[in-house]
Amino acid sequence: MYFLYKLFHQFRKTSKAFRMFLAIAGPGIIVMVADNDAGGITTYTVTGAKYGFHLLWFLIILGPVAYFVQEMTVRLGAVTKRGHAEAIFHAFGSFWGWFSLLDLVFTDWLTMITEFIGMTAAMSIFGIPPWITIIGCWLMMGTMITTGRYWTWEKIALIFCLVNLIYIPAAFMVHPSVSDIIYNSFIPHLPPGGFTNDLFFLLMANVGTTIAPWMIFFQQSTVVDKGLKEKDIRFGKVDTAFGSFLTVIVAVFLIIVCGKLLLGVPVESAAEATIKIMPTNNYIGTMFAIGLFDAGFLGAICISLASSWAFGEVFGWAHSLNNKIKEAPWFYAYYFFDLLLAGVVVMIPKAPLVLITLFVQVIATTLLPAALVFLILLLNDKKTMGNYRNTLFENVTNIGIVFAIIVMSTLYGVSTIFPHLFQ
Amino acid sequence: MKMFSGLITGVRMINQKYSKPQIEMTLLTKICLFGLRVYLFTLVGLMIYKFIETIK
Repeated sequence: MYFLYKLFHQFRKTSKAFRMFLAIAGPGIIVMVADNDAGGITTYTVTGAKYGFHLLWFLIILGPVAYFVQEMTVRLGAVTKRGHAEAIFHAFGSFWGWFSLLDLVFTDWLTMITEFIGMTAAMSIFGIPPWITIIGCWLMMGTMITTGRYWTWEKIALIFCLVNLIYIPAAFMVHPSVSDIIYNSFIPHLPPGGFTNDLFFLLMANVGTTIAPWMIFFQQSTVVDKGLKEKDIRFGKVDTAFGSFLTVIVAVFLIIVCGKLLLGVPVESAAEATIKIMPTNNYIGTMFAIGLFDAGFLGAICISLASSWAFGEVFGWAHSLNNKIKEAPWFYAYYFFDLLLAGVVVMIPKAPLVLITLFVQVIATTLLPAALVFLILLLNDKKTMGNYRNTLFENVTNIGIVFAIIVMSTLYGVSTIFPHLFQ
Repeated sequence: MKMFSGLITGVRMINQKYSKPQIEMTLLTKICLFGLRVYLFTLVGLMIYKFIETIK
């Protein structure tokens, strides 16, 4: 009888914790799944088509890397109650603050362009002209942000996150070799052909699509806008961990589909891959197109908010999704301006859109260490963080990530000057 | 013009508000951070150069 009582008590405790988690969950899942944006889908598609399953192990390593970086923003946001931009201004002064803010604006604008590239490419497959897609997206995003509050926006974003998982059933439909997948997922190795400039470029693009500067700003601002407190940090960590798991799962399954169906086929973009898959696998091709549009849309709504929040925090504008347009006019004005500027670039005739998509990922990777260094410095400040400072393990891990990215970016820079070095 | 001058005033106010950083960095730290930024922008410059070369 006592055993039953104890079991019932444990069940109630666990269910209460689970309900708490569901209330807190959101920022981590959204930022991680939105991480598989249009640029990410393109990067994984090209990776799978070029190297099959050979880089699955690299993607799996990037999951924990993303977690360690993003988890810091949860603690920082919950403790300081400030967004990342404001936190940098407050802690390091206006010089470093402007540097970080302008970094964010530059990379966000470039990334927003890639989201519109993805969405227009996906809808073109169904015969919808780019200008209709762009206007439609502007209207949808505008409606989403101006009606309701943060909670409404979050729930709609989570639905789009669910759609992003469409590549999982697609991977089962192609019946890949499980033994090949297991081998390539857990045994680090170079693909056939060895270490080349192309491989290096794709590795950099994969890093850039998994951890991006906008994610740091976005997640910290959502933590603040959602009103998370210090006692919610452990749930925020679980939310982030679950999100990083999802982001890796989607990337892995997408690479499996492309590795199985398109290995050796020259493919430059996700849209091109969809067109090539459609004739033989209509359902998978359609899932690809839907997934690409969803990825672009999800990325766009998150990235534009990251910039708007950052500007609002720094300029002291009202900057919450809980504010109506009249209460926060500049916040919403910047949001729509960002969407407009990115959409317009996509309509420039003969713009090298696919090349832009991949290069943006690489540029984002290169600028990431600057954002990470400030994040680590903030997380080590006892006055700011108190008991929630970084542990030694967290510092070693995150500094290691910064160092690895700098080395990779340097080597890529060297390969630009000496192209034959890695051939 | 009014909007532009409003923006400049806003920037000045922000600079004044955050003129005293909460975390005091040593001169060496500031030099290293600045050096890192310049270095990363140089790398980005190289990538933009490669992008332009690829388009050609």
